[in-house]
Amino acid sequence: MGLQGDFYQLLKEQGYVLGSSGQAGTGQELTIATTILAFKYRDGVLVAGDRRATAGNMVMYDRTDKVLEIDRYSVMAIAGVPATAYEMARILEHSFKYYRRTQLQELSFEGKLRALSKLLKENVAAALAGTGAVVPIFAGYDAGQEAAKIYFYDILGAEFEGVEYAVSGSGSSTIRGILHYLNTWGEQPLSAMPEEQATVQALRLLTSAAEFDSATGGVNREAGLYPIIKFITGSGVRMMPELQLRSLFESRVSRSA
Amino acid sequence: MYEEPYRWVEAVGNRRQYLDDQLKEGTPVVGVAYERGILLMTMSKGTPKLYEIYDRLALAGMGHPADLEKLRFNLLEMAHVEGFNRSVSDVTGSRLVKYGITPVIKQAFEEVFKAPFIVKILLAELGQKSGKDGFLTINYDGTFEEKSRYAVLAATSVVEEKMMGYLRQQSIVSLKDAVDVAVRAWAVGDRAQRAALEDGQGHDEASPAPDQQVIDAEGLYTHLRRCIVEKKIECALLDRHVQGPSKYRALEADELRTMLPTDLNPSLA
Repeated sequence: MGLQGDFYQLLKEQGYVLGSSGQAGTGQELTIATTILAFKYRDGVLVAGDRRATAGNMVMYDRTDKVLEIDRYSVMAIAGVPATAYEMARILEHSFKYYRRTQLQELSFEGKLRALSKLLKENVAAALAGTGAVVPIFAGYDAGQEAAKIYFYDILGAEFEGVEYAVSGSGSSTIRGILHYLNTWGEQPLSAMPEEQATVQALRLLTSAAEFDSATGGVNREAGLYPIIKFITGSGVRMMPELQLRSLFESRVSRSA
Repeated sequence: MYEEPYRWVEAVGNRRQYLDDQLKEGTPVVGVAYERGILLMTMSKGTPKLYEIYDRLALAGMGHPADLEKLRFNLLEMAHVEGFNRSVSDVTGSRLVKYGITPVIKQAFEEVFKAPFIVKILLAELGQKSGKDGFLTINYDGTFEEKSRYAVLAATSVVEEKMMGYLRQQSIVSLKDAVDVAVRAWAVGDRAQRAALEDGQGHDEASPAPDQQVIDAEGLYTHLRRCIVEKKIECALLDRHVQGPSKYRALEADELRTMLPTDLNPSLA
């Protein structure tokens, strides 16, 4: 009887295996094409991601949602192999629901972090084989400490807290430096920015990433494609509507106006 | 001793008697649909009796807490594994009940060497649209019934019928209506059960005739006021307007307070 409230354990008992085991250690270079970022702003945490999915040189899809709402208080932004990442997101979503419903209390924030870490660990073989590497950012509201927090992971499942910000994906090296510069010498630190200001910065950062990384989709105004931006605060996860993104982009980001 | 068919039938009959006896002091449960979803209502002394099962499914039960827990876990396991392996919309109350737990309950009931489940269950399912909400009630022997606008659990089918009769006469639109009707229907059931208990103990002179009891709302409130001294009102919703996929939420004391006559409020403390 699932007294531990562990959904993943339940799945495994029924013969479920996450990902393909692949052949470990073939030394293939990992492709993690995308740019996702998260930083703390005045009211909580902002998480943003571009919309592009690539396979080698080919753009597979330009409407991907990489900033996935796992429950009302947490978000997982994904970089890496989408098949595995979506599968992990589904497992987490069901795990958190299952825990809450069986144990009649929310899984702690710490517990949620560990759950993702465990999935990444189980996926190491596939990650090393080059068929299933996932390098996510997990952000959520920690009810115990009454603060929104950011964590990022390596492919082996180690978790690190992003005290001010975290980035992942192939475009991340471009914007990591910008984030550091902004946060240290900008007019105000990221954590003091109001929502609108934070959104403008996120749009500018993703546009910069797209400038230097072909695997990151920036803003495509013709097709009406804007990044996904979500906010996590004490009242839960909220998504920035596209209409607002468009007007902010046109007035504060685009230089062709 | 049970090899002969007659003995077996007799043993099952005894079981019914035993289970009816175990359930006779159970607390009734009421489920009603309103414009935004479904309200489940009961009274409890502390142990909750209303639970979230899946995104659009809620459970209410009466009987032995340990048996209810076991079946609740069964439902949770089935619902979540199915929701993960297929999709959220493939998890339906009807499948969980018909192919999931009623066979288990029936088997336990008929295996006379083993202990049966001392429970009655109400499963509420929120439809995509108003008017599509549904209820499934399951008896301790595994028989189940599907209902649409409202459903109840009580110690006996006579009491249940009385509550359903009362509900049939009410019209429910808002949540406030739903709460008001639900507590009154609950009082109809609880009063009838207590009267039956007293009859059984030979105190029939204390209780008025059953038909007189049901009619006036004031009498029902008086009964409720007496009950809330030792129990408190428990309400949960499946609310179509809740954001996100999970539609279940407990109706918090503050909100409930605004919907009840003021003299029923001590029960919320």
